[in-house]
Amino acid sequence: MQHTTTLPPRHLSAYRLGALALFGALLLPTMASASEPEAREPAEVYRQVCAHCHATDKAVGPVITNAFPEAAQESWGTYIQLTARNGRAAMPAFRHSEISDAELKALSAALARGELAEDDGGEE
Amino acid sequence: MSTTQRILPKNVSAADFDAALGRFRETLGADRVLVDDEQLAPYTKIMMSADKEDHIPSAALLAETTEEVQAIVTVCNEARIPLWMIATGKNLGYGSAAPGETGQVILDLSLMNRILEVDPDSCTALVEPGVTYQQLYDYIQEKGYKLWLSVPAPSAVAGPVGNTLDRGVGYTPYGEHFMFQCGMEVVLANGEVVRTGMGGLENSTSWQVFKWGYGPYVDGLFTQSNYGIVTKMGLWLMPEPPAYRPFLIQYPDPEDIEEIVEIMRPLRISQVIPNAVVIAHTLYDVASHRERKEFFTGEGSIDREAIERIKQDEGVGEWNIYAALYGTPEQIEVNWKIVEQAFSKSGKAKLLYGEEAEQASASFGYRSDLMRGNMNMQEFGLYNWRGGGGSMWFAPVSQAKGSETRDQTELAQQILGKYGFDYVGEYIVGWRDMHHIIDLLYNRQDPEETRRAHACFGELVDEFSKRGYGIYRVNTGFMDQVADTYGGAMRELHRTLKQALDPNGILAPGKSGIRL
Repeated sequence: MQHTTTLPPRHLSAYRLGALALFGALLLPTMASASEPEAREPAEVYRQVCAHCHATDKAVGPVITNAFPEAAQESWGTYIQLTARNGRAAMPAFRHSEISDAELKALSAALARGELAEDDGGEE
Repeated sequence: MSTTQRILPKNVSAADFDAALGRFRETLGADRVLVDDEQLAPYTKIMMSADKEDHIPSAALLAETTEEVQAIVTVCNEARIPLWMIATGKNLGYGSAAPGETGQVILDLSLMNRILEVDPDSCTALVEPGVTYQQLYDYIQEKGYKLWLSVPAPSAVAGPVGNTLDRGVGYTPYGEHFMFQCGMEVVLANGEVVRTGMGGLENSTSWQVFKWGYGPYVDGLFTQSNYGIVTKMGLWLMPEPPAYRPFLIQYPDPEDIEEIVEIMRPLRISQVIPNAVVIAHTLYDVASHRERKEFFTGEGSIDREAIERIKQDEGVGEWNIYAALYGTPEQIEVNWKIVEQAFSKSGKAKLLYGEEAEQASASFGYRSDLMRGNMNMQEFGLYNWRGGGGSMWFAPVSQAKGSETRDQTELAQQILGKYGFDYVGEYIVGWRDMHHIIDLLYNRQDPEETRRAHACFGELVDEFSKRGYGIYRVNTGFMDQVADTYGGAMRELHRTLKQALDPNGILAPGKSGIRL
């Protein structure tokens, strides 16, 4: 088929394709093969998911891009990971299948270091 | 999970469940069979008033292909293990990613996230259940196709398959999503794969363009149901129009809803206004960007004095209509004149578009985005109105008739008021019907308030249905109560179909009140 794609790479990086149990007689051909696991960059995860609520011009959730002092970065990163996985009040929980552990870890570290701070928000 | 806390599927022994998990691991690999508390925690986050303990999964399976779904179904049939299927799992306020009943195994399809085809000529797409609207939007942008999506308010994080299968709506001319669905691939409970519509033909050329196929049309059987697992779905996309004019009409008084709906109905049916229009009440309009405590700190539901103050201070109407015109600039000018004329007769309406509308309404920007299918989750600001993370969408259907709309509004306000909650409501206007959408917002961290919200929601269901106002969609805590309102004959028909298609009852038992 035209315009067929295998995007975006949202598969868990730790995942491997298991041995497929096929049920031949009933099986119809598929149109695309599973994409290779590949982690998204922190900025891309932030844009696709977090920014819709947490960007300064949205203000649905608090700003989370401010840099933390170096000594507090690790604990802040852990807090972000726990909040993303469990949700908090109205914030939804995000599953491993949506944001992989590797992606979340990189995202929380980048947020804690202030790498995703908005240029025009005056938040740095 | 620890031994003492271990949750098992209903009527399945630990040994049998362990054996089944082993088989799932053989198919998926250990990494895609989730059983640890930490891994399952995101599947237990709910916003509805139901007890969290009633909605905890025993495991979650992450399938990547249709063949894996077939293999899972085979194991479940043999071991009598109930599944609960989720796509992107963002049915927030309707049950989120949690199972309908504790012990069910989540079949999480979010890794089936391939965009299989976007045809810019026929304006169609074929996608898997894990594809999010953001993903499809990005893909269309990347390719430079002049196509628009129709998205619900959670837009970016939700997806077309899950939303359409739950018969959700958006705000463009393609806003009634199931109407614009075309063709499915479904894994049945017996492991067979069926393609609906034209998809049964090998090398079909019209799967995504002709809905009906041959013989009985069955796609509806797989919406709001537990008769199969949809692994691919076709949908129609809207061609980007040469011109677009979103606009706002404000009305000042509660009773104006009658006039609005009477004027709107012929404009919608004739398609002068082609999109799924929203008529938002003051509180729905302001709650997307302000908090309740800024206006009212008293006991009970927000009072009339505070609502009047909000209208005055925030420049918001009692009713705020967000609609749009699409087409060539000439078509838009002609249709705008018709709209202007229709709404100007009584002298009560204030019509605005462009910069004037943007300045008048803090919601106009996000509404304009949603009416063209852009990603925008500003509406989630509603959850800050009261705080505490409690939300249940109460969604009765109304005829597009003014008197009925006024009656529904007053009834909702009366019941919500009795329990101390606010009427945060809007109407989404179809062609002849309207989805009356009320967000029952409450503090879920307060057990007393949660119990009160639960009782309130139950009474809303009872009282609305008694008057002939049926609920079109409901959270997983109230499925049986709503199913009862549609009568015993319908429940029996649903059960008969369930027995025929899923004789072991492994697919989402209890979905829409349907069980063996």
